[in-house]
Amino acid sequence: MIPAPRWRKVLRDVLRNPTRTLLVVLSIAVGVIAVAIVMGAYGIIAADLPNAFDATNPAHANIRMQPFADDLVDVVGRMDGVADAAGRRVVSVQARVPDPEGPPGATTWQDLQLLVIDDFDDQRINIVRPESGAWPPDKGEMLVERASMAALGAVEGEPLTIKLANDDERALKVVGQAHDMNEVSLAITGLASGYITPDTLEKLGLDRRYNEMLIRVAENADQRSHNEEIARAVADKVEKGGYTVFRTSVPRPGEHFLEQFLSPMLLILGALGVLSLLLSSFLLVNIITALLAQQTRQIGVMKTVGASAGQLTRMYLASVALFGALALAIALPLGTLLMNALLAFVARLMNFNVVTNRLPLPVVAVLIVIAMGVPVIAALGPILRGTRVTVREAISDFGAGSTVFGRSRIDQALESIRFLSRPQLISLRNTFRRKGRLILTLTTLILASAIFISVFSVRASLFRTMDDAFAYWNYEVRLNFARAYRAEHLAAVALEVPGVRAAEAWGLRNVYRVRPDDTESDNIRLIAPQPDTKLLNPTLLEGRWLLPTDEDAVVINTDLLDDEPDLRVGDRMVLNVDGRDVAWTIVGLVRSVMAGPYAYTNYPYFARMVRQVGQADILNVALEDQSPAAQTAMALELERVFEAQGMRVVGTETTAAQRDQVGDQYGILIAFLALMALLLAIVGGLGLSGTMSINVLERRREIGIMRSIGASTPAIMRIIIFEGVLIGAMGWILGALLALPLSRILSDAVGEGFIHSTLTWTYSLGGAAFWLLVMAGVAALSSFVPARQAASLTVREVLAYE
Amino acid sequence: MFWSRSNGAGSPISTNGVAHAAPHAPRLIDLRHVVKNYATAAGAYTALRGIDLGVDAGEFVAVVGKSGSGKSTLSNMITGIDRPTSGEVLVGGVAVQQLTEGQIAVWRGRTVGVVFQFFQLLPTLTVVENIMLPMDFCNTFNEHRHARRERALFLLSQVDMQMHADKLPTALSGGQQQRIAIARALANDPPIVVADEPTGNLDSHTADAVFHLFEQLVAAGKTILMVTHDDDLARRATRTITIADGEIISDRPNYAPHAVVDDDVDDAILLGDEELRLA
Repeated sequence: MIPAPRWRKVLRDVLRNPTRTLLVVLSIAVGVIAVAIVMGAYGIIAADLPNAFDATNPAHANIRMQPFADDLVDVVGRMDGVADAAGRRVVSVQARVPDPEGPPGATTWQDLQLLVIDDFDDQRINIVRPESGAWPPDKGEMLVERASMAALGAVEGEPLTIKLANDDERALKVVGQAHDMNEVSLAITGLASGYITPDTLEKLGLDRRYNEMLIRVAENADQRSHNEEIARAVADKVEKGGYTVFRTSVPRPGEHFLEQFLSPMLLILGALGVLSLLLSSFLLVNIITALLAQQTRQIGVMKTVGASAGQLTRMYLASVALFGALALAIALPLGTLLMNALLAFVARLMNFNVVTNRLPLPVVAVLIVIAMGVPVIAALGPILRGTRVTVREAISDFGAGSTVFGRSRIDQALESIRFLSRPQLISLRNTFRRKGRLILTLTTLILASAIFISVFSVRASLFRTMDDAFAYWNYEVRLNFARAYRAEHLAAVALEVPGVRAAEAWGLRNVYRVRPDDTESDNIRLIAPQPDTKLLNPTLLEGRWLLPTDEDAVVINTDLLDDEPDLRVGDRMVLNVDGRDVAWTIVGLVRSVMAGPYAYTNYPYFARMVRQVGQADILNVALEDQSPAAQTAMALELERVFEAQGMRVVGTETTAAQRDQVGDQYGILIAFLALMALLLAIVGGLGLSGTMSINVLERRREIGIMRSIGASTPAIMRIIIFEGVLIGAMGWILGALLALPLSRILSDAVGEGFIHSTLTWTYSLGGAAFWLLVMAGVAALSSFVPARQAASLTVREVLAYE
Repeated sequence: MFWSRSNGAGSPISTNGVAHAAPHAPRLIDLRHVVKNYATAAGAYTALRGIDLGVDAGEFVAVVGKSGSGKSTLSNMITGIDRPTSGEVLVGGVAVQQLTEGQIAVWRGRTVGVVFQFFQLLPTLTVVENIMLPMDFCNTFNEHRHARRERALFLLSQVDMQMHADKLPTALSGGQQQRIAIARALANDPPIVVADEPTGNLDSHTADAVFHLFEQLVAAGKTILMVTHDDDLARRATRTITIADGEIISDRPNYAPHAVVDDDVDDAILLGDEELRLA
C-alpha cells in the first residue's frame, strides 16, 4: 500500500537530510545506550549472580579453629538448627612465580591458599566446580582457581613450586583449573587459591585434620542474626569440647560478598546514564525546534491547502518517533556490546560466569519506551508551538533574520561592547540571539564538562586518599615470621642491611569485639606499634594518639567505627585476644586507611597480654629507596638475611604491591565513570554541532548578504567558528566551576560507597585542562563543518533559498 | 476544458454549524466594514480601514495597489489566513472570522485554492504528490485507491504539466512550478481561487501564460481574486479594485477584458457546487 503524500513527506524529510537525521538519531541513541548498559548489566547481574552463587551451596557460617576430625563434624552436623556441616583444611603456602618487575628469569613469591577437598565429586558446601583439565587431581597434583592462573604464572601440565610454612619447597603439578565463587577474588585480596586431595596434603608432610568448619543453617537461613546465633552455638559447643575457635564469620546470607561493592557503582553509573538521557533530550528539543522553524513556511502552506494543526502535530510526532526507532536500531546492538564489556569486567572482578549475554526483555521494553517516548515528550512542546503558528505568521516570515535582537539586557550589554572587530561582534551577538537554544546547549555542555572534570577529580581524590593511606604506613616492607623472635634482635638484624632506614618489630593479632550483649563482631586487626614509633603517621580525627605510658588504651579507625557504630572515644570496649576477653579504653579515632577495621595499642602492654614480652613476629622496615623495584628487591634481601640467621620468614608484603592492588580495584570504577563521562562528552559535542548547524542553516540569508558585501570565505568561516568556540568556552568555564561542588559530592558518594569514609577531595586541574583541550577540539570541529557548508554557498543560492 | 469532474457532488462548503450570511446578501464573497490593525515594534498600524466589498461567483477580480497598501491583507481576510480586527468576512455564506483555526484549515482546503508568489511547493514531495496533499489532508477524492492520483494527473494535464508528474519541484522552472501550484490550488475543486502576486516572480512571457490559465478558470466558472501590482495584467481581469492606505479608492469593471476563453467550455459541470453558483 502506498502511503499518503503527507507520510511520504515525513519519511523523505527524515531521509533527505542525513546529517541532521544522524545528529538527532545519535543524540537519542547515546542516552538510550547509557541506560541500556546500566539497566542491562544490573538486570543480568541481579538475575545471574544469586543463581550462580546459590548453586555453590554457600556456607552460612565459617568457623576457623584448632585442628579437628570427622567426629566433631558429625557432632556439629547433628546440632539443632544445623542443616549440614563440613570440615575443610586450608593451608597457607607461597608459590614461586616469575617476577614481572625483575630481570627475565627472576622469581618472587605469591601467597597461595591450598584448599583440601576430601572428595571432589561429592562436595556439599562451598562447592568448587571443574573449569578445565583433569578432575579430580591425583596425588601430587593440584587444580588452580581460574582467576589465580595468571598471578601464579601457572600452565596446565607444568609443575608449580610451593614453599610450606617450614620452608620446605615442593613441586605440585598443575593439572587443571577449578572455579570457586566462594573465595574472594584474587583481584581484591591478592591471595591465589589452589585445590588438592588429602593424599597430596599427606605427601606434603601435613596431617589430614581440618581447620575450618563450614555450616549450612537449617531454617531461616536468610536472616543473618539467626545464622550468627547458630554459629555462636556451634562455637560454644566445640570450645566446650576443648577446641580453640580462632574466628567465626557469618556472611550476609544469599549475597555474594562483592554485591555490596557493585551496588554503589551501578547506582552512580545509573545516575550518569539518566543524566545523559536528559541531556540528549535537551539536544533533541533544540533540533526539533530548529527543524520546525525551518519548516515554518511549509507548515503555512500545508495549512493553506487544508491541513489542521492536529494533522501536522501527528506528522511531526511521527517523524520524531521515526528518529527514535532509528536510534533504537543503533542503541540495541551497541548497548548490548558495551553492556557485555561491562559484564565481562564485573564477572572477572567477581569471578562468576555470566550466563546471559543479551539485554533482558523487560529492559528492551523499557528501552523501546525510552527511545520512542522520551523524544516524543521532549519534542511535544516545540511541535505544538510550531504547528499552532497561524498561516499568516508562517508565510510572512521572511527577510534577513527573523529573531528579535536588542531587547534583553544581555543584548544591550553586548551592544555596548566596542573593542572587538565587526565580524567578531557578529559572532558574539549571534551567540546570544537564540537564548532558549543557547541555554539548552550550554546546559548540556556545562553538565558534560562538570561531570567529566568531576570524574577526573574523583580519580585524583582516590589516588590522593591512597597516598594519604600509604603515607600513614611509613614503612615499605613488612616481614611475617613463623614464630615470635626477640623484638630488639629483629630490628637490629634489619638495620645491618644496607639501604634500611628504620626497622621496628610490632605485634599483630586478629581479634574480635565482644559487645555488651555478648554478641561478637567481625574480625578486627589489633596492631601494636612501638610506643615511640616513627613508622606510622595517623590522621587523628578525635581524641588523641597513644602515649608511651598508656596501658589498656586503644585508638580505633573509622572502618571499625563503621562496623561498630556505638563506640565512642572514652568508652570501654571488650576485645577477645587469643581466646581471652580483655577490656580497653578507646582514647582516639583515626581515619581508616582502606584496610578494614583496625585498633592500635602500645606494644609493651600488648606483649605482656599475649605473653610474648620482648618478642614479636612482625617486622616493619623503612627503606631509603622507596621505588617499587627497590621494595621488591629489599623484601627478598631481608628474607635471605633472616633465613641465613635461622629466623623463618613466612611472608613479605611491600606497600608498592598493596598500592597496585588497591589501585587496580579503583581503576575499574574509574574506567566506568570515564566511559559514562565520555558518553556525556559525545552528547555535549553533538549538542554543540547541532546548535551550530542549526544556527548556520537559519542564517543562510544573512551569510549571503555578508558575502554580497564582500565577506571572503575565511571571514565567514571565522565568524561561525568563533561563535562555536565562544559557546564551548562558556560551557567549559561554567562547567569547571560547577565541578567544584559536584566533584565533592561525587567523591563523597564514591568514598561512602566504596571505603565507607570520605575521600581526601582534590580538584583535578589536569582533568579540567584536558577537558579544555577536548572542548576546544569539539567546538572547532563541530562549527567547522557547518561553517564550511555555509561558506561554500553562492550568493545567488543563499538569497534565493526558500 | 473542464476543471471539475465531480458533477455537483464535489466540495460542499463546510460550515460546521456556523451561521450563514443573512439572506439579503447573496454574494459569494462579502466583506463588511473590515478593519485590520497590527501591533508592531514601531507602534500600532492599520492595514485595512473599513473595507466593504462584494464579489459574485464567476468574477475575475484584480486587486492592485502599492507595496504596503493593504492588498495582501485583504486577500488574507478572504482566505482566512488572517482575521479582521472588526467587521465581517462572509465567504459562500460562511462567517470566516467566527471559525476556529482548525475549522478554517478544513474550510479553506475545500473552499479556497491559494496560489503564492513563490509557488511554495513542498520540496520533498514530487509534483503529483504536492497536488494530492490537499486531498489527503481534507480526506477528499477517496472513492477508490487511485482516485487522488488520477485527479492529480488530470489537473496536471489541464496545466500541461503531466509529463513532470514524478519530478521534484526543484527540477522545474518558475513558470512550471507556478502552473503546478495552480493545479494544487484546484485539488479539492474549490469554487474560489485567491492568488497573491502569482506572476510577480515570473518573466513576462511566462506570466502571460499563467494569466491565461486564470482566464480559463474564470471561463470554467471559478471565482478568482488576484492581487497584483501589474496594471497591465489587472486590466485584463473583469474587475479592478485599487487599494491605497487600507481603503478601496477605486472599484471598476473592465469592459474589454481579453476574451480568450475556449469556446467549448462545458458550462454544466463547471463548478460542481450548485448551491454556490446560485448564491
